Amino acid sequence: MVGPAVAITPFHGNPSGEMRMIEIRVDEEACNGCGLCVKDCPMGVFELRGSVSSPVHPENCMGCLSCHEICPAQALEHRGVVPCRRMYVSMKVCRMLNRVI
Amino acid sequence: MGESFIDETREKFRTDLVFRVEDVPMRCDPPAEELEQTLHGLMQLNGYIIKSLEEIAGRGANAVTYRAGKKFGHEVAKYFEKKDNVEDALRELSYILHGQYTFEPWKPSDRDEYIVEENGSTFIYLVFHDCIVRQSCRRIGQEQGGPLCQTLCGYVVGAVEEITGKRGKLEIIHTGPNACLKKLILK
Repeated sequence: MVGPAVAITPFHGNPSGEMRMIEIRVDEEACNGCGLCVKDCPMGVFELRGSVSSPVHPENCMGCLSCHEICPAQALEHRGVVPCRRMYVSMKVCRMLNRVI
Repeated sequence: MGESFIDETREKFRTDLVFRVEDVPMRCDPPAEELEQTLHGLMQLNGYIIKSLEEIAGRGANAVTYRAGKKFGHEVAKYFEKKDNVEDALRELSYILHGQYTFEPWKPSDRDEYIVEENGSTFIYLVFHDCIVRQSCRRIGQEQGGPLCQTLCGYVVGAVEEITGKRGKLEIIHTGPNACLKKLILK
């Protein structure tokens, strides 16, 4: 579990102060076993088992989503992540892309 | 034929508004939804300043931005209550950073405590969720962990030093698109 309720009380970053567990799913059909998520994760959350990545320590996941971004097969799904604000998204560009798509 | 640009612009900026010296603004104007272009402009400008600084000063850029952040941290935190206790100090820090950065204490599952005392120093891992520095880096496609991130490190260290009266250090352990892990050390 990430963040069991010990001496630390909630800050702004975690207003609820609840215990948080991130659930990670790997689409085994999509995963090509490149191992990029294994190398990139500083917490050793993933391991290659056979030719597929497996989240062996999801309790250590802090939700940085580096693995999510680096996965060329887009095979990862994280549930229970706190999404940060995305103020950098340009709506002008998004509107243009939407027109093209 | 339409109006010339000069006439058009001059017309746009003409008002009958009387601005009195005693008028004190009670809100941030314009509302947030109209701020996108301003915010993005600032993000880009900030990003390019740091990028250019890095090109000219090389590794020295980190020292400059860290120093700038630290000064800012000391300046802001001097109006906050002084705390000896690390947890209380972190709470004060969360008030200081509110609206710009959000963070939570973090520990690996094999550790029992968040706050660890080791060799005369105290450390705690912090996961930064919302971060205007990360937003700026991503806005201009700049790598994370560089001089712009050092402004945040300096800011946090300056604020914590001001609150606790101890010497601080913030190490970047990992940077990600959604959150970054940092280690706060107090001596």
